Amino acid sequence: MSAEAPRAGTDHLARTDEAAMFERLSRSNLVTTWRWYLGVGVAGAVLLWGVIVFMYMALVGMGVTGYNRPVFWGLYEASLVFWIGLSHSGTLISAILRLTHATWRAPVLRGAEAMTAFTLMVGGLIPIVHLGRNWRVYYALPYPSSRELWPNMRSPLMWDAMAITTYLLGSLTFLYVGMIPDLALLRDKSAGWRRKFYSALSLGFRGTHAQWRRYHVASTLFAILIIPIAVSVHSIVSWDFAMAKVPGWHSTIFAPYFVVGAIFSGIAGVVIVMAILRKAFRLESALTPLHFDNLGKLLCTMTLLWGYFYFTEFLTVWYNRNPEEWEVFSSYGGHYLPLFLTMLICNFVIPFPMLCLKRVRRSVPLILIPAVSIVIGMYAERLLIVIPSLARRNDPFIWANYFPTWVEFSVMAGAAAMFVLLYMLFAKFFPIMAISEIKERLFHTTDRKIGGATVESIAQVEGEEEARA
Amino acid sequence: MSTVIIGLFEGVESAAGASRALQALSLPAGSVTTISAVPLPEGAVVTDPAPIRFPRIVIAGWFLGAAAGLALTLATYLLYPLVTGGKTIVSIPPTLIITYEVAMLGALLATLFGGGREMRLLRFPPKVVHDPRIHDGKIALCVLVDGEGQAFRVTSIMKAAGGTDVRAEEGEL
Repeated sequence: MSAEAPRAGTDHLARTDEAAMFERLSRSNLVTTWRWYLGVGVAGAVLLWGVIVFMYMALVGMGVTGYNRPVFWGLYEASLVFWIGLSHSGTLISAILRLTHATWRAPVLRGAEAMTAFTLMVGGLIPIVHLGRNWRVYYALPYPSSRELWPNMRSPLMWDAMAITTYLLGSLTFLYVGMIPDLALLRDKSAGWRRKFYSALSLGFRGTHAQWRRYHVASTLFAILIIPIAVSVHSIVSWDFAMAKVPGWHSTIFAPYFVVGAIFSGIAGVVIVMAILRKAFRLESALTPLHFDNLGKLLCTMTLLWGYFYFTEFLTVWYNRNPEEWEVFSSYGGHYLPLFLTMLICNFVIPFPMLCLKRVRRSVPLILIPAVSIVIGMYAERLLIVIPSLARRNDPFIWANYFPTWVEFSVMAGAAAMFVLLYMLFAKFFPIMAISEIKERLFHTTDRKIGGATVESIAQVEGEEEARA
Repeated sequence: MSTVIIGLFEGVESAAGASRALQALSLPAGSVTTISAVPLPEGAVVTDPAPIRFPRIVIAGWFLGAAAGLALTLATYLLYPLVTGGKTIVSIPPTLIITYEVAMLGALLATLFGGGREMRLLRFPPKVVHDPRIHDGKIALCVLVDGEGQAFRVTSIMKAAGGTDVRAEEGEL
């Protein structure tokens, strides 16, 4: 909150005009601009187009897609992995920052957590899109029926369904519980239907001392629980591939490699979302260059980790020269060369040197370049994981290349529009900034004189609740 | 319905001063609390005598979830046996994965419901004691009183300590 006018006083909250701060941080809820309507209209139209094309595909059959023998998994599965990967950083980063008491976390939390919830919703729908006979999706549910059908718990796809459901419920709960004090604030500041709406959602939270104590313990427990779930989700998504004896997939390193890739793309996604929120809702005083600097440092670390994992995976195949696996990797230099180069350039060559520079990390327009580059690079990486392994399977007689048709592109554009639409609606009706967390941080912050310098000093009282519990 | 004396204070120091002065009245434990827009450290103004019990429910939720996950997988193996050459009917690694996921789901739901119950959420009594001005930086000090005499003494102490708009309200604390 660097923009708060410094006046002589006790702590940072005491010298803050809280009413002005509320108006500034709740701008997305209080002011509706024509740009918001335009955004909702465009996203809604693209989503509608995606739904129409999906219905056409369901009516005509999967033959309208680019799928062929042996490439039965294509753009849809790559997008599934991509969206689930994007979901990783929001809740995970938020939970880690909460547990480590990172003092800069407050303005980043809500936007990141919302990103997780909506990317998971989009990602969770993609297996249904891909299903073929989509209307029979309920066959996958475990309930006794005259058909004597029951899901096979040995299938990694079933683990996937369980893990994504758990993570989605956990992320929604984490997001919602984190919002309760802010919903109570909006309840007290609003009138009419909004007051009733926020009264119902804030569940009667008032901010009594006993409620705050329990709220902190609950938040800590959620953070502790959500981290292993997040790690397990992307591990299990990787096992969808690694459990199959398909060259390029059957690898022990896949689970940690997927988790690292997911966090990598997730942080890039958070940076992009934060930059858009900052610009759209004039949150410059809350989302300062410090936040982008810290996210940029995390992103730089993840670039190196991703590079390390990719090199390790490549090195063992290169040294081994197992013909089946080598054919898959060789195709990266042939038909899939553009994708391979896009991945390497966008995931490492562009972001790593840029993110090493403080000037880039602290400039919002400049840090967007590596962030967007990483999202593109990670999408290319997901495509490279899914498609070449199937296109170059063990039997050369069935080798065939794959390219998606307008149907797949349309449905996936609809999926992206769904994410944008959900996010815009969320920003309109819910507090996109964790106002209570920001106030709490200001409350704990005071200025301390060290010699001739005045520095910020933050009292750490968190943790006391757990000890007492 | 109980009678609660509520007063607004400009900052933590004045609210803490009132709270210290109220100790002379030997009020029952838990009858003095604050309502604030930010969490105040334990003991800064008041202390909460009630222990936080719901983490135990979370542990119970984890075990309940684990049992449900285990039952789901074992029942699947036994009711719909998948006979595969060289492989056992009951497969341990998938069992561990499903059990883990459902256990974590159980713990999450237990945190939600256990925490919500202890925070006394989802209860909408006809009237609760509250003051929205806490969002403008004020701290509301609330005291549950028994009888007019005690109400008068509490009101006097809170006013003397700098409380503004000190008043009696009927409602749940």
